[in-house]
Amino acid sequence: MTSEHGTPTPAAGPEPTGCPVGHPAGGGGTAGGASDPRRASRRRFLGGAALTAAGAAAGVAASTALRGPSPVATAAPLTLADLDALRAQATVPFYGEHQAGITTAQQDRLMFASFDLVTGDPVAVAHLLGTWAAMAARFTAGQPVRSGDVRPEQPPPDTGEASDLGPYSLTVTVGFGPGMFDERFGLAAKMPAALRPLDQLPGDSVLRPEISGGDLCVQACADDPQVVFHAIRNFARAARGVATMRWSQLGFGRASSTGAGQSTPRNLFGFKDGTNNIHADDTAATAAHVWVDASTDQPWMVGGSYLVARKIRMEIQSWDAAPLADQERTFGRVKTTGAPLSGGTEFTPLDLAAVAGTGSGPAIDVAAHARLASPEENGGVRMLRRGYNYTDGQDSRTGLLDAGLFFICFQRDAHEQFSVVQTRLGSSDLMNEYVAHVSSALFAVPPGLTGPGDWYGKALFDL
Amino acid sequence: MSSATSTRRRAPRLRTATAVALAGVVLAGCGSAASGASPAPAAATSTDATTSAAPAATGPAGEAVVAVAVTDAGGCVATPDTVPAGAVTFNVTNVDAVGVSEVELLSDQRIRGERENLAPGFDATFTATLDGGSYELYCPGASTDRTPFTVTGEAAVSSGDTAALLQQATVDYADYIDSQVGFLTEAVAALQTAIDAGDLTAAQNAYAAARPYYERIEPVAESFGDLDPAIDLRIGDVGDPAAWTGFHPIEQLLFEGGTTVGAEKLAATLVTDIGELQSRTAELSANTRADAADGDRYLVDEVANGAVALLGEVQASKITGEEEFYSKIDLLDFQANVEGSLQAFAALKPALNEIDPALVTDVGTRFDTLLALLDTHRDPAAVGGFTLYDDLTDAQITELSNALSTVIEPLSVVPSKIATA
Repeated sequence: MTSEHGTPTPAAGPEPTGCPVGHPAGGGGTAGGASDPRRASRRRFLGGAALTAAGAAAGVAASTALRGPSPVATAAPLTLADLDALRAQATVPFYGEHQAGITTAQQDRLMFASFDLVTGDPVAVAHLLGTWAAMAARFTAGQPVRSGDVRPEQPPPDTGEASDLGPYSLTVTVGFGPGMFDERFGLAAKMPAALRPLDQLPGDSVLRPEISGGDLCVQACADDPQVVFHAIRNFARAARGVATMRWSQLGFGRASSTGAGQSTPRNLFGFKDGTNNIHADDTAATAAHVWVDASTDQPWMVGGSYLVARKIRMEIQSWDAAPLADQERTFGRVKTTGAPLSGGTEFTPLDLAAVAGTGSGPAIDVAAHARLASPEENGGVRMLRRGYNYTDGQDSRTGLLDAGLFFICFQRDAHEQFSVVQTRLGSSDLMNEYVAHVSSALFAVPPGLTGPGDWYGKALFDL
Repeated sequence: MSSATSTRRRAPRLRTATAVALAGVVLAGCGSAASGASPAPAAATSTDATTSAAPAATGPAGEAVVAVAVTDAGGCVATPDTVPAGAVTFNVTNVDAVGVSEVELLSDQRIRGERENLAPGFDATFTATLDGGSYELYCPGASTDRTPFTVTGEAAVSSGDTAALLQQATVDYADYIDSQVGFLTEAVAALQTAIDAGDLTAAQNAYAAARPYYERIEPVAESFGDLDPAIDLRIGDVGDPAAWTGFHPIEQLLFEGGTTVGAEKLAATLVTDIGELQSRTAELSANTRADAADGDRYLVDEVANGAVALLGEVQASKITGEEEFYSKIDLLDFQANVEGSLQAFAALKPALNEIDPALVTDVGTRFDTLLALLDTHRDPAAVGGFTLYDDLTDAQITELSNALSTVIEPLSVVPSKIATA
């Protein structure tokens, strides 16, 4: 279904949006900015990440070729093997002011897991978070759980399925659910006001509790599915006796772009989604909309963010039976190019006042998804979207494809951002005919770790 | 102090198995076979707050401080790695070693100080008063798990003085008992917390976490004829089931009943009884360190007999799967008994090296073999970390039993060697 390097769906339009391998020179030498999506296709490989261990001559050449202003002019032509080796070795720095995996250029694969704490001991929870932090630092550097010898009479410390792979730009992002602050661990006074449960939103009636919520979450993203699975599997193994996995989700084919250097991907409806997403390099926007600042009621959250996860099932068969005009009216965009129905190209701002060519009503329907999700219609509210497509195979009861969008967003306060937009979408969006929100979760994502020995929420626990 | 054997209420079946060994564990009221010399006390003292029974270290002024960094890349590194004899405080930091959760200071198989619960990102501290000699810092699970550590200067006990070495053995054993009782106190408190919270999984894990500390000191605990039955009796040994207290009725509720309900009062009683055990062992240790003429204290022959008695415990009730009837974690008790026995033996080693070095080598080797065999039954996924008893094959049980007998045979000679030294 998806190529190793490509977008989830075969290119639906004339422009290659996701597969740089076939178009290494596609971006050309233009400086490009947010308005030049083609520049992204070349840079996607690096994912905005630092390359490490590109010591081999081929690697260095490839790196130069990928980064240089004119890749065509550089020395040796790259082979697919060269490119994949580079991609495999790409790493994202683990330590920093913020956790990686939020504004990190979005990788192709996701495994998300929610855990329930099964201990009453806050020290056990803290030790797990310390262990997870050390493991995450190692995994994101492409290392196994532990170096050194494995004794033959004991199970290996690392499960091993990622041993011959590289880090593939792995990021691990850990969050705390409201359950961390219940009566069990003595942390009630440290509960951020913004972590209170989301109110029931329009369209929430089919939420399934067993795949919603949780006390801890782990978002693992990388450019290889086995790498993300390995991370989650070993986290779950390390959690035995302290936390059990409540639910999990695999995602593929990123359904958002988080950098001006990334092409806008397509969702399973075949549309470009998230064209107006906050981009990581827009630091003014991330400061204003994504990161928790000193105004928070909980100083331990400064530099953190709030994660909302929503599993949105798509009624794909119904959608596939809808005429193109209805599909485009639903989104408010042209399916092939992603341009607004009010005119221009993909990155042309929506003209919400534009009148349809027929003169009968607005060019962008009053209930179109792009209009209702726009900051203009939501008092300027924005959030950083980081969703993935998913499929859980087929619904054995109905025979229909069980697939959709695993929506993840980050913001300073989900009640003031996600809830505002979703309230509007849930009540009026034309797309509601084709989607159902089946799971929902909210987590506080603490700030980044300062270095070895630091761990998730160290300031929260105050041990 | 009354004779342990006269007040013990353990079932006859068990008493038969251990009576001979326990006779030597009776805490005599006064006197000491090893009181001729009175060496400076060299106490390995845990500074863990809960082991308050341990007195302050009495080393010379100018306590040495050693930073121990545990990293995955470098293993277990001490800075400095050489200090002068005296009180030494170890500040341990697990920087990023995922597989490491404890650190021990070893001297020829003997644990001189240890701390557990050391996850990445966490610190721990312990203090030991050390004589000159070679030590090891052991961080199990680290990429390099053993690091040499040197203490320079005069040993407080001059080698060759067997009587003094034997006296020192009782002090070292007292330190070991104190550290284990300290950890036991923490562990039963955690068990009570989990039970009060109604958290069955946490309570089952806490039960398994607490058992080894009790099993390692069993000969000493059993010497308190009123406390041991209250703490460790099994249902078959109780006359009135309504009066059944201690670990095992809790075990039955947690593992057979699948509930914490009804265990709250039992857990509270257990915490109280362990507290009493801690105060009594603290008194014994203090008397031992003071080499007091009056008061109960550890005697060298009871240390030697205790080492054998612990292995007798294994033969009697662990290898048969009787001890942990509901939880099936008998191999965890097995391992703890063996460790406790090894530590009692290790305390005697400096003296035994003067008396019969070949015997020391022989016993040490056989302990190593037994522990290696036990390691093959580790199962991190199981409660307690070992294969559950019911999952062992008959052949495996026989193999363990044989390995155990292999140690008991030469170890049982130790008490007479000491008595005639």
